[in-house]
Amino acid sequence: MEKLYVNEIRPDGAVSTVGLFYSRAEAEKIVAMLRDIPEQAVCRYEIVQAVRHVLVEKPAQRKQTAPEE
Amino acid sequence: MRGITPRREQGMADPVLAEMVRATGATESRHFAAVKPVIQAYRASWVKLAPYRDGPVNSQRVTVDDPAPMTAQIKQKAKELGADMVGVCRLQPHMIDLGSEVVHEFVIACCVAEDYEKVTEGADAVEEEAMRTYAKCTEIATALAAYIRQMGYPAIAHHNGASEVQAIPIFYQVGFGELGRHGSLINEEFGASFRPGFVTTDLPLVEDQPRESGVQDFCMHCNVCQRNCPGDAIPQDHVMTHGIKRWLIDLEKCYPYSRLRDEYCHLCVDVCPYIVKSHPETYKAFMKERKQVGYKTPKTY
Repeated sequence: MEKLYVNEIRPDGAVSTVGLFYSRAEAEKIVAMLRDIPEQAVCRYEIVQAVRHVLVEKPAQRKQTAPEE
Repeated sequence: MRGITPRREQGMADPVLAEMVRATGATESRHFAAVKPVIQAYRASWVKLAPYRDGPVNSQRVTVDDPAPMTAQIKQKAKELGADMVGVCRLQPHMIDLGSEVVHEFVIACCVAEDYEKVTEGADAVEEEAMRTYAKCTEIATALAAYIRQMGYPAIAHHNGASEVQAIPIFYQVGFGELGRHGSLINEEFGASFRPGFVTTDLPLVEDQPRESGVQDFCMHCNVCQRNCPGDAIPQDHVMTHGIKRWLIDLEKCYPYSRLRDEYCHLCVDVCPYIVKSHPETYKAFMKERKQVGYKTPKTY
């Protein structure tokens, strides 16, 4: 499973994250739909690979790091 | 007006969930398969009301010379119907689902708070309370839309049965609160423990304004939801969307706890310190339990 951010880049260079998607097909579909909107024509879109974390159970890590308060 | 905000598919239509279910060798999500009759009844209630989202508009229109008293009347009506908070804003493209079109000028946001005493009883109680409040929001939105149409203005209800609008950007714009680290909007009184219903309409109304009270600044340093998330699905870093900080929940980590088990997971909302104002004793007792099982809790509790 891929993990991808879709970013919207406005004419002034401001970057706005559209969302986090889990397949290239899904991300590309979203970009295509956004490009179809006339008001969004001034924006560029980029699909950026996000860091994928290995699934781990948290309890082991938690017990080591949770400080006594 | 055409929407620009993608909406995740729900249930097994969500491609992430579908792939995770396949990867575990199952055919359906345990969470969705293990639905109790009371939950089925709540879900059936919003499906039943979906056809009544829209309807005939009274041809005799009430004249609105001043939108302020009309706005007060609508808010009063929503509260009589059972809403805990009501707000109004002008509809904007980022509040509408990508691929949908909504022609109305305003959106009325209603929310119903969950019973915090009940949700802290455990996973089953959380799910039942969530569905109860969703069903109540559906009733409120449906009745409020009908009330407005009776005054001669078009109005459509948006709720769990069917919707083209998105809760978080609307809740932010009407001043209910700010987006929290756990991905839900945080209100100073109710925390994030509330559910939405909406009405879009052309009835002339007065807009509320976003209200920033330092929630996001607090979230930057709090991290209690992140440290209590059993799946480690709440990120440390945020992204920006339309100038607003967003912490994007990692569904790949969240779903094994919230969808691939029988139990509903609501911990990120339950541990949010903002709920302490409305439920001080329950919150303290709940966080004490969390601490006893090894999770980090706020210093003051």
